[in-house]
Amino acid sequence: MADHHYLDNEEKSVVIVMTSGPSTANRCATPFYIGAILASMEADVSIFFTMEAVKLAQKGVAESFAAMEGGKTIIEFIRDAKAAGVKLYVCRPAMPGYKLTESDIIDEVDEIANASKMADLILACDKSMFF
Amino acid sequence: MECNGCEFRPELYYDDQYQIWARREEDGTLTVGMTDISQTVAGKILHVRVRRPGTLRPIGKPVATIESGKWAGPVPNVFDCVIEDANHDVLDDPNLLNIEPYEAWIARVRPSASVDEALSVMVTGDAAQAGYCERTRREDIHCERGAR
Repeated sequence: MADHHYLDNEEKSVVIVMTSGPSTANRCATPFYIGAILASMEADVSIFFTMEAVKLAQKGVAESFAAMEGGKTIIEFIRDAKAAGVKLYVCRPAMPGYKLTESDIIDEVDEIANASKMADLILACDKSMFF
Repeated sequence: MECNGCEFRPELYYDDQYQIWARREEDGTLTVGMTDISQTVAGKILHVRVRRPGTLRPIGKPVATIESGKWAGPVPNVFDCVIEDANHDVLDDPNLLNIEPYEAWIARVRPSASVDEALSVMVTGDAAQAGYCERTRREDIHCERGAR
């Protein structure tokens, strides 16, 4: 049997910086899918929504579209990631640009955080990815 | 027996979300697999990776990782155990999980405590059937097996 079927990675931390939003729908599912995979491989995964991605954290938005025609909605990908253990952060400084307030943000988000939080996460993590 | 077309086996043990099943083996190990609900939610399963045999799995640390075209996530673990073996047939052909979820086991594990203690956190029999059926109704899950 091929040895690659076995998982024996060490625990690592990964930060995924999500900048894509509804204007590029086909970029909005994969980062959560990758986050779910990494979390289920026991990586400590954080996804930080900034720039247009903060729109994905607005109530009703991620329910309303999919990355591909007929595919799962983005909120389902977000919930899969969350269920696998991914922590979700929304960039507070990016919110005013999209006219968002705290009450607009979906319950799945763990924390509305300042940019320095993202800086801390990136400086402390083993790997970072940007979408 | 079935609920919404989802097969249920009363002799098996289940976690409280009915994601995994466990079966008691004569050698003191437990065989673990995915429920019909889980394989349906995942869709056609493309890839399974199991923790290497000999690895300690504390509560909450996954036994395996499942990847389908539309879903990725862990096969959860609800008791401390050590991985003893993986089902090589499933690793080579993960789609077996969609076809026969209660025959296509994923891993054999040895609980750190007694088998009875490990199974005490799971549900079985009539109580499990009620919870299993309730989840299919609550989430409107209709199972399909055999997706190739």
